[in-house]
Amino acid sequence: MWSIALKTLIADRGKLLTALVGVLFSVALVNVQGGLFFGLIRKAGMLVDCGQADIWVGHRKMHNVDLPRDIPQRWLDRVRTVPGVKRAEPYIVGVASMTLPSGGYEDVEVVGVEPGSLLGNAWNLTQGTPDCILQSDGIVIDECEYEKLERPQIGDLRELGGRRARVVGTSRGIMGFLIMPYVFTTLERAKAYLHKRDDVCSYFLVQTEPGADAETVCTAIRQRVPELDSYPREQYSQISKNYWMTRTGLGISFGAATLLGLLVGLIVVAQTLYALVLDRLGEFGTLKAIGASERQIYAILLVQAMSMAVVGAVLGLAVVAIIQYAYHTPMAPIVIARWLSWGSCGLVLLICLVASALPYLRIRKLDPLMVLQS
Amino acid sequence: MITQHPPNDDDLSRHVIRVEGVYKSYGRGAGCTPVLSGVDLLVQRGECVYLAGPSGSGKTTLLSILGCILSADHGSVMILDQDLAQLRPRARAILRRDRIGFVFQRFHLIHGLTAQDNVAVPLTLRGTPARTSRRRALEMLEAVGLADKVKVHPKQLSAGQCQRVALARALVGDPELILADEPTASLDAINGPEVMSLLLRLTTAQGKTAVVVTHDQRIFRFADRVLWLENGRIVETVQPASPQPALLQTATLQPQHAGMI
Repeated sequence: MWSIALKTLIADRGKLLTALVGVLFSVALVNVQGGLFFGLIRKAGMLVDCGQADIWVGHRKMHNVDLPRDIPQRWLDRVRTVPGVKRAEPYIVGVASMTLPSGGYEDVEVVGVEPGSLLGNAWNLTQGTPDCILQSDGIVIDECEYEKLERPQIGDLRELGGRRARVVGTSRGIMGFLIMPYVFTTLERAKAYLHKRDDVCSYFLVQTEPGADAETVCTAIRQRVPELDSYPREQYSQISKNYWMTRTGLGISFGAATLLGLLVGLIVVAQTLYALVLDRLGEFGTLKAIGASERQIYAILLVQAMSMAVVGAVLGLAVVAIIQYAYHTPMAPIVIARWLSWGSCGLVLLICLVASALPYLRIRKLDPLMVLQS
Repeated sequence: MITQHPPNDDDLSRHVIRVEGVYKSYGRGAGCTPVLSGVDLLVQRGECVYLAGPSGSGKTTLLSILGCILSADHGSVMILDQDLAQLRPRARAILRRDRIGFVFQRFHLIHGLTAQDNVAVPLTLRGTPARTSRRRALEMLEAVGLADKVKVHPKQLSAGQCQRVALARALVGDPELILADEPTASLDAINGPEVMSLLLRLTTAQGKTAVVVTHDQRIFRFADRVLWLENGRIVETVQPASPQPALLQTATLQPQHAGMI
């Protein structure tokens, strides 16, 4: 059966190519759309994911790392006394306006780091050292945001929140979900840029003792400081991502586009298989006349559909790899999880399986008598 | 020439085909068109019987019933000791696959497959290992004189060669009964008799039974009997050895000629 199915499939190269393009298109669309979505949504939790803290402690019901609410910094000592906490440092995140040399301005997300520990500081530095923010008026910006900030060079001055700021280092790839560039500096200077009082901050970043369970420590922190919420890194990152997914309809729009891609693939594959069968009704009639069972006929269709699915999916993944290699940038990251690739291939296989049922229904009605009436 | 008396038990055991009082019509109600009207037929093992007659006389319908592709409305049909009325569709398909070989007017080869693969199809359907199927197919192609066309696709073959491939396909599974529908209709004056000669040689040599529907008078000489159908009934049996069957010239017949043939 395998040889009959495959040889007859290969014989009709035009339709085979059409079906393969359909499957390829589906797999590529699902993966690239999904990759763009996860790349985009990853930005929403990037500060948490890369911030070196095991636990994030903040205002009750905190839901987005980029949009925090002030908390009293005096509660930090209570957090530090919780068993399992190795280190806890204040951290501030807020929006300030940067005046540009052209006279324009750009809102930026100022991140203030405790200078002693530098916990939550910028990473992937391309110029400067991690402690360069300790320099007078020092700020670190991301080179992907050069255009927005009118191409600042090391040593260039900017006005930030009405105060002087000097570029002392650059990073690459630290970009948030908000369109505002991140600017890293020391905690006190950030408060000045943000016009915050000295006794408030946005978060307490906690590093736990080796072997301590983050979830258990979080529970202890909540008991010790009931006015605050605390989450392990992964959980708060997910909360921040969920904020954008659920409140903006981003998940639905990306999901709909992905579903549309799958649907197009299904239609192309089903239509191609059906056309392939319609062109060869006589041959299927002959097979039935000389004794092929219904199961054997379906096996032929199934092998053909599955072959198209497997080859199309492999080609699709190859195209996705090329697209990812060529177009993945920090601004538009394409993050393709393994489960997404396998899942899309599995879905395409399922779709092809369903698609093979349509021509089968046509063949079931086929009367082998037709070959004797030609 | 025409058997007027019913066969005894010994005769029946030798019969590959036993058809009694078969009726078949197409359509329903006022649009109902009778095609077979009480056909009786006995064919012995190793016999080569031709069904001839004018268009619409029921030849192909009778062949379809003999091939388990079509069911009779009334009457009894025993093929290879199997009562077709008792067989479910799956069992009929297995009977066709394992014990009957078909040759069609328009060859009905599968275009995506080579000649060898086409011939091997019935064995593939039976689940025969690929290597065995291909070897048997090769032997059959050699037997029909197409050893040099093994890897050729049907589109690259002439009509005569296609019909030889179809013949090889019909015979590769070593069936007991060969059913051929107008096998020479698409062939020229040279290829037609050649294919029939080949069919006769490959079937009678192994004691196989063949039923051939044909209009082609050139090939009547290859038959043991030619049964003439008119208006859904077998109206005369002709021995090809006779100089020229009268019906082939006049196609008129007295009703009393019909009976258990």
